[in-house]
Amino acid sequence: MNIDFLKRLLWFTVLIVVQVFVLNHIHLFAVATPLLYIYFILQLHRNYPQWASMLWGFFMGVVIDTFSNTPGVAAGALTLIAAVQPFVLQPFIPRDSSDDFQPGMDTLGVPQYTWYASILTFIYNVVFFSLEMFSFFNVLEWLECVIGSSLLTLILILVVENVRRR
Amino acid sequence: MHNLTEFLAKYKHWFLFVALEVLSMVLLFRFNDYQGSVWFTSANYVTGVAYEATSKVTSYLSMGALNEKLTKRNVELEQQVRELSSKLYDKTKDSIYLQKGQYHFLSKFRLIQAKVVSNSLDRPDNFITINKGTWDGVRKDMGVACGNGVVGIVYMAGIHYAVVIPVLNSKSNISCSIQGRNYFGYLHWNGGASNMAYLDDVPRHAKFKLGDRIVTSGYSSVFPAGVLVGKIKHVYNSEDGLSYRLAVQLSTDFGNLRDVCVIDDASIREQRQVIKAAQDSIKPLEEQNATQGQ
Repeated sequence: MNIDFLKRLLWFTVLIVVQVFVLNHIHLFAVATPLLYIYFILQLHRNYPQWASMLWGFFMGVVIDTFSNTPGVAAGALTLIAAVQPFVLQPFIPRDSSDDFQPGMDTLGVPQYTWYASILTFIYNVVFFSLEMFSFFNVLEWLECVIGSSLLTLILILVVENVRRR
Repeated sequence: MHNLTEFLAKYKHWFLFVALEVLSMVLLFRFNDYQGSVWFTSANYVTGVAYEATSKVTSYLSMGALNEKLTKRNVELEQQVRELSSKLYDKTKDSIYLQKGQYHFLSKFRLIQAKVVSNSLDRPDNFITINKGTWDGVRKDMGVACGNGVVGIVYMAGIHYAVVIPVLNSKSNISCSIQGRNYFGYLHWNGGASNMAYLDDVPRHAKFKLGDRIVTSGYSSVFPAGVLVGKIKHVYNSEDGLSYRLAVQLSTDFGNLRDVCVIDDASIREQRQVIKAAQDSIKPLEEQNATQGQ
């Protein structure tokens, strides 16, 4: 029970509450829903134990699923991006930075951070909507949902990160 | 052996990854027929309480418009009752029969009042959570209606909350008929507008006109006959050309749903038991035929 864990737990709770009670009700043009909770995964620092990040992702997904009646969808997708996050982060890390390098706008720079965030957001949205529409497949609708939600999520993440930096 | 343990230790997070993904997929694919999964849906107590608290707050915001609508509906119904009872009195000249008849009709159903605590419109499969569960007498497969018309069918019931499959779900399938003409079909919804659904399998020789009322048929052993569903808006041919497909303008406003009631109909329960008994008695016959055929 160290301070780092408690901090993460706070973020975990806040992101879930915001997602479930506010963001889940937003459906811009009936396609775009911001999925801000993946910001939690973006924040994991370099060399964060992978088993821990996957467990965080899984449990966050289960809670989100429970509230939105989509069992397994967010849980599966979040576990996946928690697993690939270190590999996406790796190429962006500047040389001779510390072992627990914290990805953020101030450490990576705005363009680099945007790339990092957009890659993970896009992967997440593709997986999430593919799982959600499994039984009801319509390519155009799927594409609209993926692109719309990715953009909206990305914008929201950049705004939150920007505000937090100051 | 040493190599094996080293291998396992080295790749332990990948095993965890696979295990978690498998667990998610199990949740995903078993949700539809796995009654125990009541824990992982909004029928569970914790999510129910959380949703109820927020819906209490938001319901204040739309109270005015809702009240107005209810009053209007009330006036409309009162007028209808007056009209019908005067007609009945003209026919029978017997006011005692009139009172008896209405009592009889009401005593057949028990209505369980419930509030909607979570709702969605824009997914391919929408669900509604209501704040009454098995302790209040709500059971799986009971019909749910609101003041304006039909809402859906109870899919899962927790102790205090239940999940309803509304008309706006691709799995919803309600038997309906055209009021006054008695031709029947099945009501389906396949995405898109939240005020439109389709009545499939209406026979080609059926006579009806646009604007006719669609009501539940009472065949599905979920709803009693005569609960309002909507009005006919368009007529299409079915894909195979053998029947009509009617576009139905739903009378229920799913975007503004607060108070609903679950219909507990004793006679429906009996009907279902009889059907089940009949099916069970046919089964041995079929099995016999199958073995004889071989």
